[in-house]
Amino acid sequence: MKTLRNDWRRLADGASLVPILFSLMMAPNLRAADESKDKPAGASGDMVPLVLKLPDPAFKGTPKDIPLGPNIEPMSDKPRPPMMVPAGLKNIAPGSKLTSSDKNATADTLAKLTDGDKEASEQSIIYLRKGSQWVQMDFGGPQEIFAIVIWHAHNSAKVYRDVIVQASDDPDFVNNVQVLFNNDYDNTSGLGAGTDREYFETREGKLINAKGIKARYLRFYCKGSTESALNEYTEIEVYGRPAK
Amino acid sequence: MTRALTVVLLLALGAAFVLRGLKLGERPMHNDEAVNAIKFRELWERGTFRYDPNEHHGPSLFYATRAIGRLTGAPDFQEYTEARLRWVTVLFGLGLVALLPLVVDGLGRRGTAWAALFTSVSPAFVFYSRYFIHETLLVFFTFLAFVAAWRYWRTRRLGWAVLSGVGLGLMSATKETFVLTLAAAALALALNLLWTRFIDASGLPLKAQRVSLRHLAAALVVWLAVVVVLFTSFFTNPSGLLDSVRTYEPWLHRAEGASPHIHAWYFYLHRLLIFHPDNGPVWTEALLLVLGLVAAWAGFARKRLDGASAGLVRFLTLYTLLLTAIYSLVAYKTPWCLLNFWHGMLLLAGVGAAVLLRGIRQRSVYWCVSLLLAAGAGHLTWQAWQLDTTYAADQRNPYVYAQTSPDVLDLLSLVEKLAALSPEGDRMLIQVAAADGDYWPLPWYLRRFQQVGWWEHLPADTRACVLIVSPGFSAGMDPAQAHQMGIFGLRPRVFLELYVRDELWQRWMDRNRSNRSP
Repeated sequence: MKTLRNDWRRLADGASLVPILFSLMMAPNLRAADESKDKPAGASGDMVPLVLKLPDPAFKGTPKDIPLGPNIEPMSDKPRPPMMVPAGLKNIAPGSKLTSSDKNATADTLAKLTDGDKEASEQSIIYLRKGSQWVQMDFGGPQEIFAIVIWHAHNSAKVYRDVIVQASDDPDFVNNVQVLFNNDYDNTSGLGAGTDREYFETREGKLINAKGIKARYLRFYCKGSTESALNEYTEIEVYGRPAK
Repeated sequence: MTRALTVVLLLALGAAFVLRGLKLGERPMHNDEAVNAIKFRELWERGTFRYDPNEHHGPSLFYATRAIGRLTGAPDFQEYTEARLRWVTVLFGLGLVALLPLVVDGLGRRGTAWAALFTSVSPAFVFYSRYFIHETLLVFFTFLAFVAAWRYWRTRRLGWAVLSGVGLGLMSATKETFVLTLAAAALALALNLLWTRFIDASGLPLKAQRVSLRHLAAALVVWLAVVVVLFTSFFTNPSGLLDSVRTYEPWLHRAEGASPHIHAWYFYLHRLLIFHPDNGPVWTEALLLVLGLVAAWAGFARKRLDGASAGLVRFLTLYTLLLTAIYSLVAYKTPWCLLNFWHGMLLLAGVGAAVLLRGIRQRSVYWCVSLLLAAGAGHLTWQAWQLDTTYAADQRNPYVYAQTSPDVLDLLSLVEKLAALSPEGDRMLIQVAAADGDYWPLPWYLRRFQQVGWWEHLPADTRACVLIVSPGFSAGMDPAQAHQMGIFGLRPRVFLELYVRDELWQRWMDRNRSNRSP
């Protein structure tokens, strides 16, 4: 009982804070709210910044929770236009020797990139470590390359970062490197800023026009996605023919 | 209250503080948090608040944030951070532990100690205490009303009745779902009285003191006063009072199914008891349910209560069961609502742990069970830690729901870098166009920019230096004038594209080119 009497005394003491809290909630803000906004910034001479009346954001309730899953909707309902290439081209990727910057990726793992399985399933995907990683194809000799199709993981809607495709005759990609695709707009992968657009992964894969470039090696970079820092691939196809 | 219990409560408060305060600003703002933040901005900068009966809940969160802001010398709104806002709800989360001494004679000393521990480490409570939304405040005010009512029941002192009225008023001014809590409490009270009177004849036939009608009237008056003051925004918006009643029309529609948040009856229980996503850990608070059932048995059987009040334990059991059923049956569900019924389970779990240990005579078994309970609490702590850190914005977290993707922070970082390049700086014109106004929480993150416009369609005039648009609008962008600089995840499967005017694009490319560029 004594303890509870003390509780009540403490409550009574606490109740005296109520008027203080009341006044804190009601106290006017002594600083003019729009003072800084009304003062023009950088005004010089007779010129003043143009102040535009822009629409305010409309308040919105809790958005729908969309779980990640395999049943993605295509980001565009328009079919991809066909790319025109010389007749008789083959997918030369399966015959290539595959290596990767991720030394944990075994030959068996990398072989999945050219096994023909492009399904959006866990078994079809290989994972490389996070950060900028590459996969390299060695065709054994110079090839004329016309088209490249890349499938990262397309089991849910996502965008891969810093997708870069290079061609070279130098296995170390130091000399005579040609860039076929680069959407690393901020050069965070250190291979130069690219101007190609980012894109959504879909079951169609990313089709890149290689324009008949001659090279023995191709290198494919990426650096994670909007969903994960890991690098994921499903399949890569390369349409070409031996260079004359 | 004994010294040992005081120490345990302080330790629990410390653990609660650490778990709730850890990396508080790292998780991207949720849509709802950002809406609350911008609504608070209006109150902070202009002193105005109008209750919206259609959405966004009651005024207490905003006024509490304002009061705490004044007490702590908060800066201009532009300098507010995610962490500063979230400390408001963290404090109310800590308050759930701090109120426990007021029910020591109801839960028992050991029951109170265990309840404090479970409240401090419950993953659900830790996670949602870190959300700048109304739910933690609602649970706190509910518990405040409850403990004050309990104290009144024990003492018949007017002050406790008044405090209970304050709690009820603040519940009303927090979230419309308080009516569900009241309904469950009223029904639980009635059922408990029936049980005590007609079924439970084993207790001593004590004649309870009569409840003073004067005291009840005082509580009601205070309740109404709090409601009037807050819903009228301190008498500046008289229609707010009527709006506090009119709000039930849209909410009833939502409860019936007119909402994107319609889920199965087991939605909450799935998340609480066993949630095992692909490639993720197993999340569970089932230990608390098991202990709660032990407490329920003890309350109804009047056995091994270890100082807890059988009547209170029965009331808590009935209240928790009824509120769980109500929330499970209502089709409209968002996961943070589970705090309301799960809090009752935490209190019961505290009693259950004490009951379990009370019944053990063998010292070795006692210590084994104690260690198991401690290990269980440790596992809950580990889960809470993971939810704070590794899985804070991950869909494998059972409590993540329509959470903003961390990827959007890259978008915002890029906008900041572009502003640094632009001669206009933070006066750079930014246009944001997203279907159905799905651009939150960007208004929070772009708050320091002085010229930002918001559209639900692509505006005819897209003269802005920087445009952030839904992918569906990008077809309307002229590629000769605006360059795409990336696609960013706003939420899972919801994206925004960033476009930059040619002149700023050229500045950017000149800055970022290297000798290895194509």
